[in-house]
Amino acid sequence: MIERIGYLWPEIVLFIGACLTMVIGLSPNADMRKQTGLIAGVSLLIAAALGLATPAAPTWAILPGIMPFAKPLIALVGLLLLLVNIGSVDRDEEAAIAAGKPFNPLRVTGAEFYAFFLFSLMGAMLCATAGDLIWLFLALELTSLPTYVMVVLSGRGKKGFDRSQEAGVKYFFLGALGAGIFLYGFALLYGGTGTTQFVEIAQHFAAHGMNPIATVGLVLALVGVSFKIAAVPMHFYTADVYQGSSGGVAAFLAFVPKTAGMISILLLVSTVGWAAGQGSLPPAIESLLWALAVLTMTVGNVLALLQSSLKRMLAYSSIAHSGYMLVGVIAGPGDGSFVSSGIAAVLFYLLCYGVMSTGVFAVLASLERKSGGEAVEVESLDDIKGLCRSHPWLGWSMVICMLSLLGFPPILGFFGKVPLFTSALGAGHVVLVVILALNSAIAAFYYLRVVAGVMIDPESDSGVRDTGVPARVIAAVISGVLVLGLSVFGNVFMGSGEKAAEVRRFVGQSDEHDTDSVPLDEHSEAAEDEHHAVSH
Amino acid sequence: MTTLTHIIPSLVASVTGSLVQDGHADAAGEVGHAAEQVSHAVSQGITPPVDGPLWIALIPLLPILGVVLTTLCAIFKVKSKLPAFLTVGCLAASFGLTVAMYQHLSGMGPGSTVVVTAFEWFDLSWGAGEGQRFQADFAFYVDTLTCLWMLFVTGLGTLIALYASEYMAQDVGKGYSRFFMAFNLFVFSMACLVMGENLLVLFLGWEGVGLCSYLLIGYFYKKPAAVEAAKKAFIVNRIGDLGLLLGIFLTFVKFGTVSYPELWPLVEPYIQMVKSGHAGDVPLTVSLIPILLMVGAFGKSAQLPLYVWLPDAMEGPTPVSALIHAATMVTAGVYLIARMYPMFLVSEYALPIVGWIGALTALLAATIGMAQFDIKRIMAYSTVSQLGYMFCGLAVLSSTGAAFHVFTHAFFKATLFLCCGAVMHGFAGQLDLRKLSGVAFMKGWGIVGIAMLVGCLNLAGFPFTAGFFSKDMILAESFVTAGPGYGAIGWILLITAGLTAYYTFRVFFRVFVGPKAFEPGDELHEDHGDDGHGDESRPEAGATKFHPHAPGLAVNLVLGILALASIVAAGAYFVDKEDHGWVGRLVHESSANYTGSAAFLEHGDGAHRLEAGATGDGEAGAVEHGEAGAAGHGAAAAHGSFLGMDPHKAMYYVSSVVGLIGIGAAFYLHYLGRTTAARSKADDLLPALGPIPRWAQHKWYVDEFYNAVIVVPLRVLAHVFHAIDRLLVDGVVNLAGVLPRFVGSRIRPWQNGVMHGYAVGMVGGLALLIAAVVLLSM
Amino acid sequence: MLATLATVDVKSYLPLGILIGMAVTFAVANVVMSKMIGPSRDGPSKGIAYESGMNPVGTARKRFNVRFYLIAMVFLLFDIEVIFLYPWATTFPNLEAGTSEGLVWLGRILFFLLTTIVAYLYGFRKGVFRFD
Repeated sequence: MIERIGYLWPEIVLFIGACLTMVIGLSPNADMRKQTGLIAGVSLLIAAALGLATPAAPTWAILPGIMPFAKPLIALVGLLLLLVNIGSVDRDEEAAIAAGKPFNPLRVTGAEFYAFFLFSLMGAMLCATAGDLIWLFLALELTSLPTYVMVVLSGRGKKGFDRSQEAGVKYFFLGALGAGIFLYGFALLYGGTGTTQFVEIAQHFAAHGMNPIATVGLVLALVGVSFKIAAVPMHFYTADVYQGSSGGVAAFLAFVPKTAGMISILLLVSTVGWAAGQGSLPPAIESLLWALAVLTMTVGNVLALLQSSLKRMLAYSSIAHSGYMLVGVIAGPGDGSFVSSGIAAVLFYLLCYGVMSTGVFAVLASLERKSGGEAVEVESLDDIKGLCRSHPWLGWSMVICMLSLLGFPPILGFFGKVPLFTSALGAGHVVLVVILALNSAIAAFYYLRVVAGVMIDPESDSGVRDTGVPARVIAAVISGVLVLGLSVFGNVFMGSGEKAAEVRRFVGQSDEHDTDSVPLDEHSEAAEDEHHAVSH
Repeated sequence: MTTLTHIIPSLVASVTGSLVQDGHADAAGEVGHAAEQVSHAVSQGITPPVDGPLWIALIPLLPILGVVLTTLCAIFKVKSKLPAFLTVGCLAASFGLTVAMYQHLSGMGPGSTVVVTAFEWFDLSWGAGEGQRFQADFAFYVDTLTCLWMLFVTGLGTLIALYASEYMAQDVGKGYSRFFMAFNLFVFSMACLVMGENLLVLFLGWEGVGLCSYLLIGYFYKKPAAVEAAKKAFIVNRIGDLGLLLGIFLTFVKFGTVSYPELWPLVEPYIQMVKSGHAGDVPLTVSLIPILLMVGAFGKSAQLPLYVWLPDAMEGPTPVSALIHAATMVTAGVYLIARMYPMFLVSEYALPIVGWIGALTALLAATIGMAQFDIKRIMAYSTVSQLGYMFCGLAVLSSTGAAFHVFTHAFFKATLFLCCGAVMHGFAGQLDLRKLSGVAFMKGWGIVGIAMLVGCLNLAGFPFTAGFFSKDMILAESFVTAGPGYGAIGWILLITAGLTAYYTFRVFFRVFVGPKAFEPGDELHEDHGDDGHGDESRPEAGATKFHPHAPGLAVNLVLGILALASIVAAGAYFVDKEDHGWVGRLVHESSANYTGSAAFLEHGDGAHRLEAGATGDGEAGAVEHGEAGAAGHGAAAAHGSFLGMDPHKAMYYVSSVVGLIGIGAAFYLHYLGRTTAARSKADDLLPALGPIPRWAQHKWYVDEFYNAVIVVPLRVLAHVFHAIDRLLVDGVVNLAGVLPRFVGSRIRPWQNGVMHGYAVGMVGGLALLIAAVVLLSM
Repeated sequence: MLATLATVDVKSYLPLGILIGMAVTFAVANVVMSKMIGPSRDGPSKGIAYESGMNPVGTARKRFNVRFYLIAMVFLLFDIEVIFLYPWATTFPNLEAGTSEGLVWLGRILFFLLTTIVAYLYGFRKGVFRFD
């Protein structure tokens, strides 16, 4: 166990950062309290750097290359998310304290917010580090638990706090239900294979094939984890929760639990599918994922069509994007090249989705409008009409990110979607690709509606204005620039995605051997000489 | 498929075989330069290219700089002639570099070619196998043919830009920058077309010149006729471009590359196949390539049946007509065939088709030109007609003649157009030859008159002018080379030469000499500008108030230079005499020098025969005409060498006589005894000719024919499709739009915000999924 | 699936099945039988929360001092800490002497204690221990 410390430095840095913000954020000194955001940012930067330096191919990992890709990704998108969220918690309270109100530690929540922020990101990173089911469960819960609180905290002291509270409670209970389901699945997986280690589970499947208990366990685990990526049928919470959160936290919810969930699904599916020496997944799991993917993208897009609230629309679009990524999971690793590897496609799509959805939410978070004397976040499409004229920077960032979400050809989202198509085609899932294409077409309708509204329509008269927090605008613009920049230079990340998608394969043994006594033959097609036999 | 490849050539062979009987000739008195050409072509081949200096890439890039600068002028609303001078500067520099490029190439020895790669453009691969990679660099291929074309493209471009600086002066501050922007863009595109290292760069240039042509024809975009003409040019060219594009596709499919230097060695085996009489072995797909490329060339160079756009293109400003629609762009088709000459030798039918189309176009356009009254249109039809000559030149294995005619034509036709432009400019848009007379004797119009005379003499093929030599070369070769009906082509061209001389001097005698008289046009204050001068009170059109303004310095300077150049161009015939002149040398050292390889068109003094054989073993349709065959066709034998004489020598006299007859006819009918601008003796002659002049004046109703046969049915079809689209396709699309919304509205109630409902949904969904998985597993 | 089911040792799951069966039966049987056998007399006094205890007065949605919860949670922290420390303390002496194993174990528990310390520090800053 101790050797895993070497892979945990980014998490450790985030943990230290979280501890510091927890304590410093409650300092009676206002200047000290202001440093929490900085601490969080610095720890994220260090974590990103350390994550890049993560050594690859540990023996306990089933996707040995995933950490050096996922950890910097989580940290850097986390940094962008931090920019969107910075200064949003305790804004009114801090202003009151500056105006002479006595400091009451029970009234400020900045410390908790940033600590939870970092804890959740740390949880997502730990998912990538996971080597066994218990670790994965804890990591997933560490990702999710802070988000329940963040939803509520983000609405504190604002109009519509009741909606935030309601969202937080819903999110918590339904999240607990989801966690219960996948924990049950993990338990059955353990029951069916006799081990919690992914590598050993894969070896078991390679040697003995599937058994019903493990199959049901895997189904439960996958469906339960689907809650994190907001896949149908675990998607119900999404719209209500996004709507109840501030724009920044909604952006956080759209990226962090989704990333953790997608990585977990990749790890879980790897144990049974290609890592077990098979070209594709067992039919039961494949049809499950197939149904999940098709339902998720279709329901997401179809419901997004009907929304007038932008946040609800984005929530359903987030569901749809999870469905797209599940296509990559079904496609599997292919021959390991970027165009054929669905895993690489999923990882690259996470990057694309993180940047573009953060951009969109950052624009929403940067704007407010007056409603009954109080400033509320913009809600409907009508509010942001003509944004390109009234707030050109925000407007154009919105246009770029929306076009990217739509998958408009020369922009990032398109390059994210192409590998999903090619990998699924390479794996022979033509019907799935057709459904994916149809869904992209449906999605074009509601994305283009926003694009047209922002670009062409005359300015709205609902008195929309900047919230006066420059960090949010900066985050929006950075996202827009990143989307454009990655459209040109994204191939760098495609290469690292390809490396990250390397799968360890265990060639199946004949059935007469007992599991525990089989000297397992490990074989990795991608890098034969790098991996050596796994020792028990 | 194999049977098809055999049947079609033999079918065509049986048709052409009957024509050959006329085109067949005996061997009397033939000069022996054919052997020389053969040795040139096959043995020498084309030298593999070497990397050239990068400054060559500046030749096309300088006009792009011009585009940028003139665009900036447009943005900053420059109210001076700055854009014109910037353009002239850029183009002059480009011309200077072209001269340097020519020097550079000459220094490398004959047959040298140079490739300059600007950047890697396309590199796509979809597999590791052969033909699964498409590569095309943005590179320039420079050989002597390139130099020849670029010299007059940039040279004339510079001069005409200078002319336009004065001609377009009314538009300063309005469309002036726009005009010169398109002008620069045109030169850039033309440079890409001519200098491209592969067919893709050529295609870029091809479309670029098409676009610029469209923009410039429609320059006076408030004038409906100009917009119509621009659209017509664009659409008609699309038909040709489709052919070109398909040709390029097929080239890639068959040869795996579109780069010229890589293509020649790959084409060579097919040429040899044809040469050795195994034409039937050439795959149909390969022999289809030249036919498709040809369609592109016919579109761009205004040949039958796609010539109709060029006369209408005269709606553009005259400098544009001179540069694009007379001197440079319209010769792109000739260039394409000259450049891809080896490709045209893999099919026995490609060059004969080119020849016949060219000859018929030349005759048709000349007859239409005789009956027109608009002097600019007459020049347009003469351009179409002369382009037909050039195509004939290519077809009769005289790529030298074709290139030489392109070269001389560029100068004299530009001169003629610019003279017409000066007249139009000076007489408020008046172009009707019945309303102008004696212009050359008016004050300040002397240079225009002289330049016009020089141009007309050239066009009419007056002895010892450049046009005379270049036209003779084509005429002579069309009698020398034997092919399907080539003798007839020669006669058609000869008749056309006479007609050309007549209609050319009809313009000259009516407009430039004779009694002084004029009637101004309707563009008194040049209201064709962008703004239309709506607020100005327009004076009544009338000769009393109107004073023609004679051309200024720039126009006179340019006309002088061009007239001089038209005369001097004849000199190119005498330099390097053993190689058919300077142009001949340039052509012989380029890819257009495969003439000797065209075994199916026997050229020279040997057995004049045509192997139209579909199969190599001579079973089906291989028609061999030897001396005996010739003896059996006494009448036919007369054509082989012109009326029993050496065509090369005889043609000097014959064409001189034909040209002088034409000029004489024009002199008698349009000058002698003419007292008014409106009437001449020709009008007395008209009733005797019946309806023919009226038909010719109406362009033989070709436009109406196209309208009835193509446009109207297409329009009907379009309406039918539109109806189908509205009812069926829109219905499906609307359904596709409604369906997701409907589904959404059905499942939306589940998103009711009640947490228990959500939990039930989650667990229920889970249960369903597990049930499904269990069922599937069983 | 049925085919693979045959290869699994179903018998080993039998006790589990019996246990589940018993639990379900017991729960269902209790509810059903009490409904069936027991007399059913309803009245206002039957409806109160504690039938034989004190009468509930006022509303149940009464506000407690927030410290009440805070102290309960701090207590839980201590509680959990002790729960984790016990097994650690009992296992620690069993570690093989002379290896670095002991140091690793010590490191782990120190890390755990560190997290509790941070939690306390946080509680302290939040003012949980200020009883005024």
